[in-house]
Amino acid sequence: MFEIQGTVFYIAIVCLAILVFLLILNMKLKKFDPLDEPKGLVLMAMMGVNFIENMLKKDTNKEMTEKLGPYLAFLFIYIFIANISGLFGITPPTSNYSVTLTLAAITCIMIEVYSIKYNGVKSYVKKLFEPLAPFVVINIISKVGTLLSLSLRLFGNIIAGSILMSVVYQLLARVSALIPVIGKFNFIGVIVCSVLHMYFDLFAGAMQTYLFGTLTVAFISNELPEEAKGK
Amino acid sequence: MEKGLIAIAAALAVMTGMVTGIGEASVARQAVESIGKNPDAADKIRSMAILGAAISETCAIYGMLVAFLIIFVLGA
Repeated sequence: MFEIQGTVFYIAIVCLAILVFLLILNMKLKKFDPLDEPKGLVLMAMMGVNFIENMLKKDTNKEMTEKLGPYLAFLFIYIFIANISGLFGITPPTSNYSVTLTLAAITCIMIEVYSIKYNGVKSYVKKLFEPLAPFVVINIISKVGTLLSLSLRLFGNIIAGSILMSVVYQLLARVSALIPVIGKFNFIGVIVCSVLHMYFDLFAGAMQTYLFGTLTVAFISNELPEEAKGK
Repeated sequence: MEKGLIAIAAALAVMTGMVTGIGEASVARQAVESIGKNPDAADKIRSMAILGAAISETCAIYGMLVAFLIIFVLGA
């Protein structure tokens, strides 16, 4: 029989949180008068869209900006909320290798599809056999390497953070147990770990989100021919 | 005896962090140098430096992943 892992429920919780967040955002955007000065959530959404569009326009062309924009926005929102979900007491879904491997696989398939679309099948196959015919093995291995490095980078960062945090919590629980009466409540852990949560959940989470998005754009723009860029 | 060897193996795997430290330091050094030469480009240099540091950090993370695998798979 199948065994349902806990991560499935955590993914569902994260998706529900994103759904609620986006519904609220949608409501606010519908009420928003274009002549007003944007503030709060509306301003945040505008800055986000602007940031993604600028990032894509610099490296790719206009058509791809429209097509890749929503995917990139999905990557940013999903990975960021999944990474910082450790702050709310659930195991981050990105600390499961299946999730990051899926995300990286989507990106890798997209890279190949765009490469075939813009270069044509003929030059795509020709590129595989460059510079010599036996190099086809190395070229295919390097494609798998992209997949592995993208997924392991995100996974490694998040799992390292959560394992280190749990080790520190256990250590500090033992230290505070030495203090009589109030020692049962792990109050040293609460004080010390808030700083660590700041680094491992917020900073590393935001950093890896940004990296995943940037690398996706960089890999896709690498495959484009020069004349297809910047139009 | 066996547990001790597993611990040594994990420590050796995590030693990738040693060289990564030097690499990230050189990223920071170059960033500071180029901001000193060209203060107007500080914003661009900052984002590139963070990106470079994060990518070179990946190497250390792989080492740590291998160490975790050794501890939790072999040591359990």
